[in-house]
Amino acid sequence: MAGERVVVAMSGGVDSSVAAAMLVQQGYDVVGVTMNLFCHGDDIPDRPCCSLESTNDARRVCEQLGVPHYVLNLQSAFGRDVVRDFVDEYSRGRTPIPCVRCNTFTKFRDLLHKADGIDARWIATGHYARVVGGELRRGVDAGKDQTYFLWGLQRAVLSRLILPVGHLTKVETRAQAHALGLEVVAEKAESQDICFVPDGDHAKVIARELGEDAPSLARGPIVTLDGRVIGEHDGHARYTIGQRRGLPGGSTEPLFVVAIRPREREVVVGPREALLGRGVIARGVNWLVDPLSAGERVQLRVRHRQAPVWAELLRSELDEIELALDEPVSAITPGQSMVLYDGERVLGGGFIEQAVGQRMALPMAVAV
Amino acid sequence: MRYPGGTTPDDTDSLILPIMSHPIYLDHAATTPVLPEVLEAMEPFFGSRFGNPSSTHRWGREARVALDEARSRLARCMGANVDEVCFTSGGTEGDNLAVLGPWRAHGDTARRAIVTTPVEHKAVLEAVHQAAREGAEERLLRMTHDGVVDMDSADRLVDGDVAIMTVMWVNNEIGVMQPVPALAELAHARGVTFHTDAVQAFGKVTIDAGAVPFDLLTMSGHKIGAPKGIGAIYIRRGTRLAPLFHGGSQDRGRRPGTENVAAAVGLARAAELAVAHQEEEWARLEALRDRLEGAILARISDAVIHGRGAPRAPHVLNVSVPGVDSESLLMALDLAGVACSGGSACQSGSTAPSHVLLAIGTRPDLAASAIRMSLGSLSNDACIDRVAELFPALVAKARGTALV
Repeated sequence: MAGERVVVAMSGGVDSSVAAAMLVQQGYDVVGVTMNLFCHGDDIPDRPCCSLESTNDARRVCEQLGVPHYVLNLQSAFGRDVVRDFVDEYSRGRTPIPCVRCNTFTKFRDLLHKADGIDARWIATGHYARVVGGELRRGVDAGKDQTYFLWGLQRAVLSRLILPVGHLTKVETRAQAHALGLEVVAEKAESQDICFVPDGDHAKVIARELGEDAPSLARGPIVTLDGRVIGEHDGHARYTIGQRRGLPGGSTEPLFVVAIRPREREVVVGPREALLGRGVIARGVNWLVDPLSAGERVQLRVRHRQAPVWAELLRSELDEIELALDEPVSAITPGQSMVLYDGERVLGGGFIEQAVGQRMALPMAVAV
Repeated sequence: MRYPGGTTPDDTDSLILPIMSHPIYLDHAATTPVLPEVLEAMEPFFGSRFGNPSSTHRWGREARVALDEARSRLARCMGANVDEVCFTSGGTEGDNLAVLGPWRAHGDTARRAIVTTPVEHKAVLEAVHQAAREGAEERLLRMTHDGVVDMDSADRLVDGDVAIMTVMWVNNEIGVMQPVPALAELAHARGVTFHTDAVQAFGKVTIDAGAVPFDLLTMSGHKIGAPKGIGAIYIRRGTRLAPLFHGGSQDRGRRPGTENVAAAVGLARAAELAVAHQEEEWARLEALRDRLEGAILARISDAVIHGRGAPRAPHVLNVSVPGVDSESLLMALDLAGVACSGGSACQSGSTAPSHVLLAIGTRPDLAASAIRMSLGSLSNDACIDRVAELFPALVAKARGTALV
């Protein structure tokens, strides 16, 4: 409501800048904050977010809007809740999704905490998603929808969250930026990579956090589903399910990474059809609606921008759910998110523990 | 009266002090507004008297005379000879020059150690680290929990291996005063070059090179009502010093570069005003600080005042409230119109817990909740009373904001 204080998380990009400007126009008492998540020592100047330049852009936008701007130091919380988990997940042979943990913990939980300290009723971000009646909905721009990364929010956060650009398309957001005179940010490039991974080289981050001798970066065998060693890899953390790059050639059909066995340091390869899963088990489940029970039908995604697939909830336990898919899905990757939808509504999600019904997941002796 | 007591938010020249309308500025240890008299003194040198002091023509002579006069007036403020004052760009350059200059120039290869404290300004600490990269041995003095140098540790550490000792006079974060006269005597007696960072001390404590045997002293203009970008160091006659910059003979070759004449004139004027009003300003700020401190302690039973057991300069009050995250409280204070500061600012503008508080053994959670309020020319009874009311109310809101 107009006059109420809202803390807007501003990256210095166009989406959060327009979000802040729209809230100013609507009469909110806007306070802009930029979260400093990691050290700028190895600053990358052309990175569209999380750089010193971006913080300065956010400050300039706030100055232009006539609202205060603060930089919050969340480095230690981010290091603990996001970066540490990121490298640990690779150690476990999984492919982490740090943006989900950052949203769940740093961006929303910690931000709400700060908002409480300054008596702010609301928090807001520039995410492409909507909050309608206390529920999370997909962003209007299907190509930009970010709900895949937002399933971990607490329902208490949702009740205090405003997502002003969720009902705009990206094109409309840029047009709004021009209309509002936010030329500093209007044509800024999108951020694509993981913000704390320079050059997209996550092995560097693992080496920095765990040392060059981290087991997930150590050499190991590349094996086929029937146990044949066909080559060597330079660290299983460099591989993810469904990957073709970095595998030996020379076989009759194309090979894909179908599993990672961290204890054996093995990267397991197989044909395309070995990637197909017919079910999913997820843990760390968070419901954004009243929890669903076994037998209910939902749509799900196991990766960003994937067309949703129908599935049936087989089990719904406190922290673990299992779903059977109507049609098989390729490369269901442990560590990534599984998000449940009912059309536009986001029902909840969890971290993928394993694919079910995948050929290679069966015990070796039984493998066909 | 324009300086410094008695100014109220309503009678202040809005051109000079635009921040004064209603918000309350409690961050004088960060910087101060340029005093009207200082601006007035500088003005001709931005206009008709624009000459380069190194030029031989009339414009040059005029600038040179103004610069020399500024130097001698500043020298008088510190009991120094005129040739012992060297203008710098401010505290950071001064500290670097005063530490690295003698380190690089001293010929005694037997003396390889530099003694300092862990509560120095980063300009000193980083300069000492740089000397260490050039072969120096770093020795850190022990501090008491109140942030004062432990004299026994000074007695132990300052031996025949020590080239330089550098100890700040007044700490910028907690206001605690170090026993600089005693430390300077100790260093002097043991043949050690002694530097003191007096950036926060100037205008608060009496600085007299004739009474205290410091060899080098750093001061900065913008902490005392002169502009940013000007400062000075005192260099006792006979102290050898390698310059940081190269390229000219200005300031006896100690600080090459065309002198900032206008700012030097302003610095001299600000220094004179600070020294002339030193005692009354001390008493005025001490009364204000005690009032604020008393109100905070009375209304927030678990508040901790850092350095309270030590002799303190009257302009700095550093307070922690358990369970309150300083970042949230600083935002809340600013939104309510009160400007204070937290720990050390980083380049992005966010803050990290103070190295000073951590170095004197403050619990990390208390260090993360510390707020520094620093008083000065813009502080008066009315604003202190408003903060005394507001602070406890905002603390109550911010309770429990410390991140787990």
